[in-house]
Amino acid sequence: MTQRRELIKGNIDSLLLCLMSQKPMYGYQIIKELEHRSEGYFQFKEGTLYPALHRLEKVGLILGKWQMLPTGQQRKYYHITDKGYAILVEKRDQWQDFLTAMNLIIQPSGSK
Amino acid sequence: MTATISHYLDSIRDSLRLDILSKKEVISELETHIEDEVKELTEAGLSEEEAANTCISLLGSAKLVARQIYEAHSQGTWRQALFASLPHLLFCLLFALSWWQGIGGLLIMLILILITTVYGWWRGKPTWLFPWLGYSLLPVVAAGLFLLYLPRGWSWVAIIIYIPLGLWLLYRIINHTIKKDWLYLSLMLLPIPIIIGWFIAVEWRGFPEYSLERLRHFAPWIGLSFLALAAAVVTFIRLRKRWLKIAVLFITGLTTLTLVAFYAWGRLELITFLLLILLMVSIFLIPALLENGVRSGKWGKIFEYRPMA
Repeated sequence: MTQRRELIKGNIDSLLLCLMSQKPMYGYQIIKELEHRSEGYFQFKEGTLYPALHRLEKVGLILGKWQMLPTGQQRKYYHITDKGYAILVEKRDQWQDFLTAMNLIIQPSGSK
Repeated sequence: MTATISHYLDSIRDSLRLDILSKKEVISELETHIEDEVKELTEAGLSEEEAANTCISLLGSAKLVARQIYEAHSQGTWRQALFASLPHLLFCLLFALSWWQGIGGLLIMLILILITTVYGWWRGKPTWLFPWLGYSLLPVVAAGLFLLYLPRGWSWVAIIIYIPLGLWLLYRIINHTIKKDWLYLSLMLLPIPIIIGWFIAVEWRGFPEYSLERLRHFAPWIGLSFLALAAAVVTFIRLRKRWLKIAVLFITGLTTLTLVAFYAWGRLELITFLLLILLMVSIFLIPALLENGVRSGKWGKIFEYRPMA
């Protein structure tokens, strides 16, 4: 479990950017979406999400916008920026290369 | 909202050292998150209290959340870091390039510092302002000292009008700074023990020519001490972790004071050096205690601390 947490921590920026490249999202929605799409694999301390979102916002990779709901409740939706999108493309390529290299070594069926 | 949730959000609010607007946004965001999650958990069959407890346990410790959010906001850009260190660099150049020998250079610099400070103060007191604010108090102190040396009668002007006015200004500055973060008060006051140390080493008594000669002799080392302060400020702004920020300022303060004592060999007695060290420690300790007192409500009547709704 600790190892899994460390893995998530190391890749949280890519995960968040990837989700926001599909549509603007708010904090709780991000947690639910990550949990749902990973079939329960991505579960982490929810409190760590907001520092990550604020860090990405501070460096200009995402942009938070407050939106008033019909219920009167206000929610902060995060949008990916152009800079964030460029970083996501870069990270995605790196991840694909890493995955290919890992598979070449780890998968037994890949042996000669 | 249950008492557990209110208490949790209050704990985050108290531990979070951000400007009022950012703090308000963080708390609103967390509040919405908690509301969403509690609603979902109660719909799944949990009681409101159980839902609140589950939600808080999923979010994690209030102090940890506050610390991590602070770290996400605390790092300034290189531009901000350089701008914050600029008054120290200007003082470094003042001595390293002997600008202090001409009154024009000194005046231009002080006016520049005052204008920048007033600008920063009205622009929401950003972090870069505090080193400038510290130096802008120097002309205020110098003018007060000058008034004391005026012919008899005029010195009463200083005592009756100028000193209360100066103290009122100091109170306003401390009050506003402490509301933001006590560490900015330490950042602002950091050069004071060093300036006092050099002032004692130069010996402003007796023959002016002798003092000026000594000042000329010490000028490169005075410049070096301001350069050390500038480097500390750049590091302070660029670091994320709070304890590292405190450590950088404190260690630089002590090292620079040691440098003053070393180069003012024989002019700073051990007891004076120890008193300066004590002053340096107080610059960190008193603001922290002051903020603690204000937040706990002990000194709430003296310093207007109003927690946000």
